[in-house]
This record gives sequence, structure tokens and C-alpha cells, in this order.
Amino acid sequence: MKILVLGVGNLILRDDGVGVHVVNELKTQIQHPNIDLEEAITGGMNLLDLLLGYDKAIIIDAVKSDDSKNGEVKRIDIRDFNTMHSCNPHDVSLIEAIEMAKKLGEDRIPKEIIIIGIMMEKIPCEFGENLSENIAAAVPKAVRLTLDEIEKDIKISS
Amino acid sequence: MKTVTIDPITRLEGHGKISIFLNDKGDVDNAYLQIPELRGFERFSQGRRAEDMPQITSRICGVCPVAHHFAATKALDAAFNVDPPSAAKKLRELMYMGYFIYDHILHFYYLGGPDFVVGPDAPPEKRNVIGVIEKAGVDIGKEVIKHRAYGQKITAILGGKATHPVCGLPGGVSKGLNKDEVKDIDTMVKSCINFAKFSLKLFDDIVLQNKNYVDIILSDPYQLATYNMGLVDKNNKANFYDGIIRVTDQNGDEKLKFEVNDYYKHIAERVEEWSYIKFPYLKAIGWNGFTDGKDSGIYRVGPLGRLNACEGMATTEANKEYKRFFETLGGKSVNSTLAFHWARLIELLYATERAQELIKDSEITSQKIRNPVGEPGEGMGVTEAARGTLIHHYKLTKDGLIDKANLIVATTNNSGAINMSIRDAARGVIKGGDVSNATLNMVEMAFRAYDPCFACATHSLPGGMPLEVKIYDNKRRLLKTLKQNL
Repeated sequence: MKILVLGVGNLILRDDGVGVHVVNELKTQIQHPNIDLEEAITGGMNLLDLLLGYDKAIIIDAVKSDDSKNGEVKRIDIRDFNTMHSCNPHDVSLIEAIEMAKKLGEDRIPKEIIIIGIMMEKIPCEFGENLSENIAAAVPKAVRLTLDEIEKDIKISS
Repeated sequence: MKTVTIDPITRLEGHGKISIFLNDKGDVDNAYLQIPELRGFERFSQGRRAEDMPQITSRICGVCPVAHHFAATKALDAAFNVDPPSAAKKLRELMYMGYFIYDHILHFYYLGGPDFVVGPDAPPEKRNVIGVIEKAGVDIGKEVIKHRAYGQKITAILGGKATHPVCGLPGGVSKGLNKDEVKDIDTMVKSCINFAKFSLKLFDDIVLQNKNYVDIILSDPYQLATYNMGLVDKNNKANFYDGIIRVTDQNGDEKLKFEVNDYYKHIAERVEEWSYIKFPYLKAIGWNGFTDGKDSGIYRVGPLGRLNACEGMATTEANKEYKRFFETLGGKSVNSTLAFHWARLIELLYATERAQELIKDSEITSQKIRNPVGEPGEGMGVTEAARGTLIHHYKLTKDGLIDKANLIVATTNNSGAINMSIRDAARGVIKGGDVSNATLNMVEMAFRAYDPCFACATHSLPGGMPLEVKIYDNKRRLLKTLKQNL
């Protein structure tokens, strides 16, 4: 059983970087040969490349949502996203990328892909390295939820 | 007046939003593309070490990290008054070709291509890369994946990392190539040349042999007779990594030619209250509203802009395709917005051929890859990003920190033209208030051709609907909301 924990986001776009902040915190808590902690500033095809070969992937990312509270943290199975776009104008969504890989006979796609989503009403469009108050407060919650998700499969002794 | 809003835009997401205003007859009065610009870059950069800019700016945009990386590196060459050794320039350019290979493949097969390969009338849920694979076959799908990955791998070998390179330094690069790497790249490049030729043949078979598609390409709503801009070498051949900025007119004749340092002498920017993004135009011609033709200073960049702005490609096979392109589409300038897709594939072939020239160059394994820098000052750097001319401009303090930073990105250069293309496509397909999903797609096709980057490289996962159309009556009351999933 190999698990990838992937924080996705852009550290120079304020709250957008929250996934990376969460993974950096997790790095101080987890050391396990079967758990890889990585960060990525990419979507779609490139994101899929990073997931290949793992049994389970946990992606921590900002999720834009109109009907959630700013800073709420949710566990979402990727199968429950009916549409998902990498918010990158020049790429396909991760779901499209996965579907395509399946069609082409790719057999290294993780059986389980879980999103730990930090909800926000608006994705910031201003440069900066700090998180806003609500989103900073969501980091420990997201850390907890990720640890719970990992422990369903691998016990972390700490 | 009715208002139609397409928000957000499928497949080319960012946070773009199109509003179409209908008149009382239900015909298109006007259309606007609104793009929120990323703010605060100048303040963010101020006081940072200049040599960090290639890394920082490659994170601005998940779309063109390599283009930003080298526009920044070249601006630093100029700001530190240093000319890199010729081997370093070749290594940079080779890496740049890797970027063009994966970027152009991605756009044609995944983003722009579905409209043609699957067809503009196909239902939206089929108009994506899955639909392309279903139509073209699994074997071709595998080739697409393989060659896109080759482009990335070439970039990664030279740049240290595929998406966010770390090799560019003022005065050169941090890493050379060894013999094994040269062998690997050579093998991949050979395969990419064949794939580029195959892609051009596919375009020929599926698009150019289909009268319906050719009619759409040549139809009025998709024509725009603007000026064109691109980098050229000393023989006026297109160049992506370096050169002089050349502007041609509607007949393909040279209008302007200038070094990047003179950019501000030739280009002005129009501000419109409804848009965050500015609209650049040629000072020599002037601003004449959102119009095309000789009296309007609006110009286009990107694959079509570049092909119009040069006098040929510097490699043999790509140059043959270049000639065929203009012969087929009626000579210079080609004004069809949808011809961007064909132009992109010709550029793909050029990038692969140029990569082969560079990897076979005896100097490519040289270890003389950096020159010492001079005193910090001011500098500008220009590259051709896959989607058009990109400029970085830095002013450094005497300690080598950033005092001022300004970027002019490709999509900004195209902003006036994109807006007109959307309006014209809308006028062509929306009549008498009839707004079907298919007509909306025709409007989207107009700007998808530009492969615009909305400067917003956030990688969040939106939970909302990818396409929402709102139709209002003349009192701005919401009549109907159409939602569409991919």
C-alpha cells in the first residue's frame, strides 16, 4: 500500500497556496516509507503524472464553492466531482485526464483519489505569500482530516 | 436589451467571462470578454533578489512557466549587462523547443482540436480529448501522450524540473548536457519530428479535406484584418527564443521593426472601464476603437501573428508547410482566426526540427555555459511564449534587488483582437435572439483559437458549473439560465 499526499497550490498567490501549507505541516508529523508527501503547482495532465503508481492519492487543494463557508474543510471522493477543472486555462481537468488514461489502458491510476478541499468563495488574484485569517485557521483542520484519511490504511506511529 | 453571459468558459477556464448584449431584435449589439488580472506583482517583486525572478515568474502562470523563466532570464542578462556564451544560448533555446513541443501538442489535441476533430456541432460532452481519442483511435491517443511527455522530458533534462525550471541564470545556464542526455534527447526529438508531420497530415485529412470546416474557417465572422507581431531573426525568419520584434500590415508588408528596448516607443495601452486587462495598440497607427483594418492599431500575436509577421520558417520542412499555408489560404496576411490551429502545428514542426539542429550542434555539450555578470542596472527581455510575444522589464537597485518590475504578457497583446473575434463570432451565429448551446460554442471557438492565458494560474478545484449562460430581457430581468457540463 503506497499513499501519495499531494498539496496543490501556488505559494505566491495567497490563499491559493493553502494545500502546500498543509503538506508542509504534515511533513513535520509524518515519516513513513510508504507515504510520500509532495507539493505541486499544476493541474490536469501533469497532476495525473504525479499520481501514477500509487494505491491511494490524497490531494489537498483550495476548492472554489459558492455554497460553502470560507475556510470550511471537506473530504470529497473524486468520483463525487461531476465536473472538475484544473483552473488552468491551458489544461484539461484531472477527471478528463484520468478518463483518458483509462481509455488508453493506463493501469497505474490510484484506486482511490480523495480530495481534502479547503473551501473558498473566491480564489485570490493578488500576489502575496500569507494566508488570510479564515484559511489559516483551516490548516489544522485539513491536517487532521488528512491524517484520518491516511490512518484508514496506514497506521502512523507518532 | 437582452444580455447573454457565458461564465465561466469551458476548457479555457481561468476566470474569464463573456457577456453578449443583444439589441431589441435579438441580434448582437456588442460583446465583452472580462478577465480579472492578477494584481500586485510589482509590489510583490520589490526588494527581492533579481536572480530569483526566473523562479518567481515561472510560478505566475501554470501555462507558460518556461516562457516566463526565459523572458526573466533574458531581462536579467540585459540588467546585469552580460552576454551569455553561445553554448548557453543554444541550451536555452533547445529547452524552449521542448516547451513548444508539449505546449502546442496539448493545445491542438486537448483544447482547440476537439472543435475540429470531433466537430463544432458535436454535443459538448463529446467535444473534449476523450472525443478526440474515440474518433482518432486509441493508438493515436497513445502517441499524443507519448510526445507531449517527450516535450516535457526534454524540458526537464535541461531545466532541472519539467514545469518550473531552475536553470536560467543571468549570463547563462546552471547546467550543461552530457553525452547520454544528448543521445536521449536526440531519440525523442526524432520521434517528435515524425509526430509533428503526422499531426499536420491529420489536420489536412480531417479539417482541410472537409468542406464544412473550411467554410467555417473562411467565413466572415472569423476574419480579422489586424496588424501582426512576432520575433524574427536577421533573415526575417520566425524565432521563438530571441530576435527583433517585427510588425507587418494587412498585406504582409513590414510596418515596424524594433528591439525590445524600444517597445514603449511603439506600443501604447488603452484602458477600458469594463476590463481589468489593457488593450495594447501600435502608436504609429493609433487607437480606433475595436476595429480592424489599416487605421486601427490593434495587432495579433501567437502562432498566426508570428507566421504573418515573418517571411518564413528557418527549417526546411516547416518552411514548406509555411508556404503551403499561405498558398492554401490566399496569401498574406491570413486573417482567419481559426487558422491559428494550423499555424500552431506548423510551429510544432519547426520546434522539432530546430531542436534537432540544436541537439546535433557540436557546441551543445560545451561546459562553457556562463559568463560573469556586470553591474546591476535596467533590462528588458523578450521571448515568444507559445501564445505570443512576452516581455519582462526590470529595474534593479545597486545591490541587485528588484526596484521595479513590469510584465507584458502574450494574452494582453492579443486582448483587443480576442474581444473583436468574440463579438464578430457572436454576430455571425446569434440572430433574432436564438442562442443555442451550439452557437455559444462557435463563440467560444473564436477565442479558444488564441489559446489565451488568463494570467490566473491558480490550481484550485472549482466546484461550480463549468458553463453557465444567463439570458436577460430588456429590463435586465433574468429570463433563463442554461447550464452545461462537460
